[in-house]
Amino acid sequence: MEQEIKKSKFEKFHDKYYKLLLIIPIIILIISFFYIGKIYSQTGDFLYKDVSLSGGTTITLNGDIDLTKLENELSKNFSGISFTTLTDISTRKPTAVVIQSRSSVEELKPAIEKILGYSLNDENSSIEFSGSSLGEDFYKQLLIALIISFVLMSAVIFILFRTFIPSIAVIFSAFSDIVMPLALVDYLGIKISAAGIAAFLMLVGYSVDTDILLTTRVLKTREGSLNHRIFGSFKTGMFMTITALAAVLPAFLLMTSLPDSFRQIFIILSFGLLADIMNTWLTNVSIIKWYCKSKNIQ
Amino acid sequence: MVLQKQKYTMKLGFKIWIFIFALLFAFFSIAPWKYFESGVLISSVTTNSTAFEQGLRPNQIIKFIDGEKINSLADYTNILSEKFNSNQTTKTIIQTKNSEIILFSNKAPEITVSEIPKTNIKTGLDLSGGARALVKAKDKELSTSELSDLISITENRFNTYGIADVKVVPVKDLSGKNYMEISIAGATPKDLQELVSKQGKFEAKIGNETVFIGGEKDITSVCRNDATCARIELCDTTDGGYYCKFSFAITLSQQAAENHANITKDLEINSTAQGNYLSKKIDLYLDDNLVDSLLIGEDLKGTVTTQISISGSGQGTTQLEAYDDAKASMKKLQTVLLTGSLPFQLEIVKLDTISPTLGKEFLKNITLLAMLVFLVISIILFVKYRNIKITLSVILTMFSEAFITLGIAALIRWNLDAPSIAGIIAGMGTGVNDQIVILDESVSNLNLGIKERIKRALFIILGAFFTIFAAMLPLFWAGAGMLKGFALTTLIGVSVGILITRPAFAEIIKRIGE
Repeated sequence: MEQEIKKSKFEKFHDKYYKLLLIIPIIILIISFFYIGKIYSQTGDFLYKDVSLSGGTTITLNGDIDLTKLENELSKNFSGISFTTLTDISTRKPTAVVIQSRSSVEELKPAIEKILGYSLNDENSSIEFSGSSLGEDFYKQLLIALIISFVLMSAVIFILFRTFIPSIAVIFSAFSDIVMPLALVDYLGIKISAAGIAAFLMLVGYSVDTDILLTTRVLKTREGSLNHRIFGSFKTGMFMTITALAAVLPAFLLMTSLPDSFRQIFIILSFGLLADIMNTWLTNVSIIKWYCKSKNIQ
Repeated sequence: MVLQKQKYTMKLGFKIWIFIFALLFAFFSIAPWKYFESGVLISSVTTNSTAFEQGLRPNQIIKFIDGEKINSLADYTNILSEKFNSNQTTKTIIQTKNSEIILFSNKAPEITVSEIPKTNIKTGLDLSGGARALVKAKDKELSTSELSDLISITENRFNTYGIADVKVVPVKDLSGKNYMEISIAGATPKDLQELVSKQGKFEAKIGNETVFIGGEKDITSVCRNDATCARIELCDTTDGGYYCKFSFAITLSQQAAENHANITKDLEINSTAQGNYLSKKIDLYLDDNLVDSLLIGEDLKGTVTTQISISGSGQGTTQLEAYDDAKASMKKLQTVLLTGSLPFQLEIVKLDTISPTLGKEFLKNITLLAMLVFLVISIILFVKYRNIKITLSVILTMFSEAFITLGIAALIRWNLDAPSIAGIIAGMGTGVNDQIVILDESVSNLNLGIKERIKRALFIILGAFFTIFAAMLPLFWAGAGMLKGFALTTLIGVSVGILITRPAFAEIIKRIGE
């Protein structure tokens, strides 16, 4: 009984303020835009690119390497060089050091060999090189792919629902699902690789399933009240997102023992899922409720 | 009534049968029993070697050598290095899975071997180690036919040079640019960069006139692997190091030989203390760099000769280094003389050489991660539904989806790289989401028939399927297809889900519900 009253209290609250609730995601979206804009004006790009997109060299040294010496020596001669340590999953001991720089292999490799005192071969190291024109090419193409992916996804949504405002609500929510995580990775200074951008593409498809669930329940059925259907889909949808986030969690625990492409994909997917909670249950819900009220859909 | 009931049961069975069939198919495609197979796999055999003549071929599995069981790569190397540490001719009995081969030789069989793959699942370069290069023409866009020429010349070069297991494929990206992708599994040949990026334009000139160029038009044969006509001749000290000279014989075509006669017939003869030579030398150029200048003996003046000796040298800080360098230079020169020049200059735009050590570690960690994901999802589902039957069927479906996806990947011989595996895990995530939708739809609105509710769940699932399909599609082309694997496994995963596992899962839930 008490629960019933509580629920109806929340219903009352939601009925009264749902339009106002839209302000929260919109403010966050605007802040995200500003932040991405700031990064763009500073670097000329929406995000920090790693060497697979900007061109340069990645050298991975196997074994427990004395990082401080490498870091000190190399930072003097190579600007914008970065170091990451990979660790063993059980012992947490370093297993490898990843060095990224925009320099060529011919510059970086001898410098490292000199410090280490041995030559690098395919037993003790991995070397990856991307030419800068290729990186630039990849980056542009992946951005185009992202746009195509978004347009295709939008088309699918329109075909599914065939009504303008509810479709736009889903698409707008998906858009926010991309912009907000992007602002967050920018804020954290994470350098994005090709795999990272691929993860954004996946996010385009992955994040809309809760929106589809909500829109289907609200528009395609008439059982129970509008609020009942919204809250019902909230329960299912939240559980879906929580399960998905939980599936991503172990990846965070093992972060330093996984390949970089893996890390990128899981970080971006989890940021996207977090953003999706707000964008589905504040943005999309508010718009569709507004739409239903104006169309007298109960 | 009875008839109707029967029909209904048969229909129920159909979807589950497909599901069981798909699982079996995946099992046979992955072939997990290979895990228990012992021996080593022959990955390449040098053509025309004794081993080849006696019938050893790639993909055979060596089980025993001289009656001793070979369990691993280490067993193989140990036995052979012990056997062939002296220069004596010995008898070796090699037992493969289906045959027995006897070799008499003073050196180890000229084959390369590798561990038998544990299953049919192939891992990508980032996990198994190896080298990959993405190559394009310098300052030029390649047409499709130019690209296929380039690929056949490159393949020929690798074969001639003796590098096995090379895959050379054309790659087209989103903007229509053509690349050549070269990948070598498991190893990184030292000369990869040079072999790939050198145009291989060989010219022999006297003065400004070209006598002959590399390739089969002018050169009919090149002596290789035969010490009577191809050898390292002399090593000596030079400023602060050593050098070694090599020479090998080649046979010119009639046309090229006549060319030689025409050019030399007007040259004067110079007398020196070492002998009488023609006034101009023959200069050998490789990619416009002078490799060597040879004096031409007076007896060659104006004669049509098809036998020519080519020479050059290698340097090093020690004599051994100089010897190895000379040997490598000779091999490279022989290769370009045989395979000819590429019609344009090349540029390596991407070159990755990945150590297998780290990949193994990654693979172990990813497997652990996948298991943790299973575990976490199982716990959450059980906490939510408090029903062991439902939890188990969700987990089973999730596992089957991943398993069938792996089966398809094994069937099409897809190399699973890290992003591909991330795609499988993410696919599992969408799978679970869809099953939650089915479960929640089936328990909500009980005034609707279960069929009707499942139908609505499938609408949501289909919607989600098409959006993810649309979203991942562009990745097949963007970025020279480097992330194709991620898109492919995700799409296979969600398709398997939508076509096979989820209909079966819906049936199972329907049965539990009834």
